Amino acid sequence: MLSKPSQKNMVNDVIRSKNSKRSQLIWYVFLAPAFLGILCFMVYPIIESLRLSLFNSSGTGGTWAGLDNYKTVLSSGDFWRSVYNTFYIGLFQMIITIPLGFIFASMINTVSFAKNFFKVIFFLPNVTAIVAAAMIFTFVLHPDMGLLNYFLGKLGLPTPLWLSNPGTAKWAIILLGVWHWIGFVIIICLANLQAISSELYEASTIDGASGFQQWLFITIPNMMGTFAFLLITGWIGALQRFNEVYVIGGTTGSPNRSIQTVVAYIYEHGFTGFQFGIASAATYVLFVIILIFTMFNLKITNMKL
Amino acid sequence: MAVLTQKKTFYLSNVIKVIVLLICGFLLMVPFIWMISIGFSKTANVQMPFPPRLIPKDPSWFNFKLVFENGQIFKAYLNSGIITVCSVLIGVTSSLLGGYAFSKGTFKGKKLMFIIVLGTLMIPMEPRLIPMYEMFNKLGMLNTFWPLFLPALVNGFGIFLCKQYFDRLPDSLRESAQIDGASELGIFFKIYFPLTGPIAATLVILTFISSWNDFVWPLVVLNDPNLQTIPLYLASFTQENGTSLGGLTMALATVSVIPIIILYLFLQRFIIQSIALSGLKE
Repeated sequence: MLSKPSQKNMVNDVIRSKNSKRSQLIWYVFLAPAFLGILCFMVYPIIESLRLSLFNSSGTGGTWAGLDNYKTVLSSGDFWRSVYNTFYIGLFQMIITIPLGFIFASMINTVSFAKNFFKVIFFLPNVTAIVAAAMIFTFVLHPDMGLLNYFLGKLGLPTPLWLSNPGTAKWAIILLGVWHWIGFVIIICLANLQAISSELYEASTIDGASGFQQWLFITIPNMMGTFAFLLITGWIGALQRFNEVYVIGGTTGSPNRSIQTVVAYIYEHGFTGFQFGIASAATYVLFVIILIFTMFNLKITNMKL
Repeated sequence: MAVLTQKKTFYLSNVIKVIVLLICGFLLMVPFIWMISIGFSKTANVQMPFPPRLIPKDPSWFNFKLVFENGQIFKAYLNSGIITVCSVLIGVTSSLLGGYAFSKGTFKGKKLMFIIVLGTLMIPMEPRLIPMYEMFNKLGMLNTFWPLFLPALVNGFGIFLCKQYFDRLPDSLRESAQIDGASELGIFFKIYFPLTGPIAATLVILTFISSWNDFVWPLVVLNDPNLQTIPLYLASFTQENGTSLGGLTMALATVSVIPIIILYLFLQRFIIQSIALSGLKE
C-alpha cells in the first residue's frame, strides 16, 4: 500500500470526482438526526422564548408588551432575591468544595494503596440523584432529630435550625451541594493530577524539594486550568440550581423565599402562574449570564468556536 | 541515614493520609448508613429515633413492605427505565453518526455546521422550557414519554467526543473500502461502527446519568402519577409528607438509591473514566 501512494491517490480522486455530488449529500443524512433535533429543540424554542418575553401572554397569541416583562422582572424584589440566593449558594458551595476536593484528590493521588477504593467512596454521593439526596438531607438536617445536630451538640457546637430558619436554610443547601459535588471535583482533579508530567517532580526531587514544596510550587500552578474549569462548570450548574431547592422548599423556596433560586422563580411564574411572558423574560436574563460563563468554559477547555 | 528518615516520613505521611481519607470517606457515607438504618425502623414514622443509633431498637421490614406493596416505586423504575433506554439509544446514535460525518466527511458548510453543534453547548434548558412545553402541548404529547427522549437527538458534547474519537481512527480503512465500492453508510456500519465500543460506552454512561437524574423537564411534561420517573416520585412523596413518616421516606430513598449504587460499584471504573474524560483538558 505504501509503495504506490500516487496510484492510490489517483484511484481515490477518480472515485471522489465520480461520486462527489452524491457522496456530499450522504453526509447530510448522517447529520440529519442531530440537526433535526437542533432545529426543533434548540433554534425554535430559543427564538420563540424571545418572542414570548416581548408579549403579554399566557399561551399562544397575546398582546405586544415590548420591554414591559423585562421591566417587571428587573424591578421585582422576588427576582433579585432569587438571584441573590442563587449566587450565595453557588459561591459558598464552590469556595468550600473546590479547595477541599483538590486536597482530597492530592491525598488520594499520593497514597500508595487503596487509591481506587477512595475514588469509589468519594464519588458515591455524586451517583445518587440530587432529588434522593435532598430527601435524605431533610432528615439529616432536621433541627431536633437530625443526625448533624446530634453530632454538633455532642461536640458542644451550636445547633442551627437549618431548613426551618430563613437565615440558615441556604447553608443547608450549601452543605448538601458540597456533599453531592465533592466527588466530581475529586475525579476531575485526579484525572488532571495524573496528567502532570512526572519529570517536573523528578527534577525538583533532585534539587531537594520536599513533598509539600512540590505540591505548592509544581502541583498547584499546573492545576490552575483545572480550577478554572471547575469554577466555570460549577457556576453553570449553580446558576441552574433547582431540583434540591424544589424538593426541600417547594416552588417558592420556603422558608420565606430564602432558598428560591432563579430557576425556581421561573418555574413559579411559568408553570404555577402561567405568566409565560414574565417567565420568559427571566429566562432570557438567566440565559445571557449562563452564555457568558459557557463561552469562558469553552475557551479554557480548548473547544474553539 | 538521610534515606532512612526520608522513607520513614514517607511511610508516616502515607499513614496519616490514609487515616484522614478513611475518616472523611466515612463521614460522606454516614447519610447513606443512616438512611438504611432508619428505613428498618417502624417507630421512626412517628418519632425519629434519638439519639441516632446504627441498628434500630425494633428492626423490621415494615417500611419496605409498604413501599413494595404500594408498588409505585416499581412503576417509577419502569418509567425511568423506558425513558433512559430510549434517550440513550437516540442520543448515542445521533452522536456517532454526527461525529463520524464531521470527522471523515467532506461537504459544504461542514465548518459552520460544527460551530452550530458546539453552539448548542451554550444553550441551557431553562429558556427552552416554555416553548417546548407549548410545542408538545399542541402536538398532544404532554403526559407521554416522547417529549422526554426526542430532545436527546441533540447532544453537542457527544458529537464533539465522537468526532475526536473518529479523528484518531485511520482514514485508510475507508479508502480501501471505497475502492471496493462500498457506500458511505455501509462503510460506517461495517467498518467504523464495530470500532466505536469505548466511545459508545462513555456516551451510554454520560447519557444514562443525565437522563436518569433529569428533573425539571419531566416535572413540566408529566402530571400523571402513573408516568412519574424516580426523581419525580421521590419529590412528590417528600413534598406531601415533609419530615413526617421518616421510616417510610428512608425506606423509599433506600429502594431508589441502592440499585444505582450497586450498578455503580460494578461499573465504577468505566463511570469514573467517563466523568474524568468530560473534564480532562488536552
